[in-house]
Amino acid sequence: MTKLLVVDDEEHIRMLYSEELSEAGYEVITAADGYKLMERIDEERPDLVILDIKMAEYNGLDLLQEIRSKFYNLPVILCTAYDTFKEDIKSVAADFYVIKSFDLTELKKKIAMALEANIPSS
Amino acid sequence: MFEPEVNPENIKKAAFVVAIPSYNEADSIAFPVQQADQGIQLFFSNMESVIINCDNNSNDDTKEVFLGIRTRTPKIYISTEPGIRGKGNNFRNLFKKVVDLHAKAVVVVDADLKSITPKWIRHLGEPLFQDFGYVVPLYVRHKYDGTITNSIAYPLIRSLYGRRVRQPIGGDFGFCGKLARTYFHSDTWSDGVANFGIDVWMTTLAMNENIPICQAFMGRPKIHRPKDPGSDLGPMFRQVVGTIFDMMIKFYPFWSQVKWSKPTAIFGFGLGETEMPPPVAVNDEILFRKFQGGFSTYGHIWETVLSKETVGKLREIREMDQERFDFPTHVWINVLIDFAVAYKDRLWSGDELLDSLVPLYLGKTLSYVKKTERMSIGQSEELIEEECIQFEASKGVLIQRWNEKPTE
Repeated sequence: MTKLLVVDDEEHIRMLYSEELSEAGYEVITAADGYKLMERIDEERPDLVILDIKMAEYNGLDLLQEIRSKFYNLPVILCTAYDTFKEDIKSVAADFYVIKSFDLTELKKKIAMALEANIPSS
Repeated sequence: MFEPEVNPENIKKAAFVVAIPSYNEADSIAFPVQQADQGIQLFFSNMESVIINCDNNSNDDTKEVFLGIRTRTPKIYISTEPGIRGKGNNFRNLFKKVVDLHAKAVVVVDADLKSITPKWIRHLGEPLFQDFGYVVPLYVRHKYDGTITNSIAYPLIRSLYGRRVRQPIGGDFGFCGKLARTYFHSDTWSDGVANFGIDVWMTTLAMNENIPICQAFMGRPKIHRPKDPGSDLGPMFRQVVGTIFDMMIKFYPFWSQVKWSKPTAIFGFGLGETEMPPPVAVNDEILFRKFQGGFSTYGHIWETVLSKETVGKLREIREMDQERFDFPTHVWINVLIDFAVAYKDRLWSGDELLDSLVPLYLGKTLSYVKKTERMSIGQSEELIEEECIQFEASKGVLIQRWNEKPTE
């Protein structure tokens, strides 16, 4: 089963995503912050990470850079309540950028696209 | 007397090369050479390095100015034969020289750069000593700068080959020695590649060779000699777009297997503040007039190349006044798909076909200008991002059209 890691400091968001994405057929694991996130990714080997940008003690854009340097091909979707972070050029390192909403249609669409993306060997 | 090479220090081997292609750049080449020299001394002082000026036998003393600049790094001047012009021809000379020098890494920067700093050399060069074989620049550009990139090169290259490289024709690059050999021996050389098509050719070959690609964050915007707005767009447009279409024919087996796209690694964040680019003026009136003029000049070509539906849509767009002008993205995508297929099927000569695409491209540019006039750079980037996803979603249509038999 495809495993998704949701990293968000808001408990109700973690619960909402877990419930809805599990219903959509994914295995969902969660983290409340970026503490030891790289170790967690290394252990759990998720197929995709949904990453909040603005967490109390962690900056999602910095975590994204760390993920990219250690797990180059791991798809990452940035998820935030704030549209303004799109202006930060660092966000281009993410596969997609989604504005948080209780309607997860857009997020589910972007998860599917990120997981389907395929570049063959030449 | 013509000298194809001047190598005052008789350099035979160099691990790191900074190259500066030129044609008549005597008044501007000193600055990038000095910055390159500083960059080498600051960040690559532990390896044998050389600065190479690859020139088109300029008649304005570019050679003398280049060789006369005081640098700590040795310099080599190489030139194409008299009468041979073109940026790509300069690069071909460079590829050979790089192979001869057994270089491990090469950085190329334009000769008319005014915003280059020593860090640019580091950012374009350092990833080549890590895991990457090809480095493209990532600058913040004004929303109206680089419209061929925004409307054609970036979305097409991204949707074809699956790699998100925001500046595939940025003009400044880094590449490894192995890739220089691949470029030198490639059988895909053409007249377009010998000129302005060289940048997109290099990027496309790197993608098709599965070379690890990285975007280097440059911090400062690219500022170079302003282009004459009255200059003819035609040759550059033909060479860039023609090369993209040529590469599509060559690499169909690869791109037809690619689905959606993936982000590309980024080097250099956190190494300095981002500086905003200067504004770029656009003349809406000229864009509108040239789009309208295309119907009488090229309408007969469009009717043989484009589907009836697309021709109908263009007629609808033609009826719009300048203030409400809109060229919908899906129509633009269908135009590009039909032109790529017509280019492959040789319905018209390459130059005729590509020239007839120019007014449609100017119409698309006007539409982009209208949509983004109140947007920030970030918001307009978002719009381009959405358009790219539409390009990627149309891949199935492209493949279907590509494989249809041409109509007699």
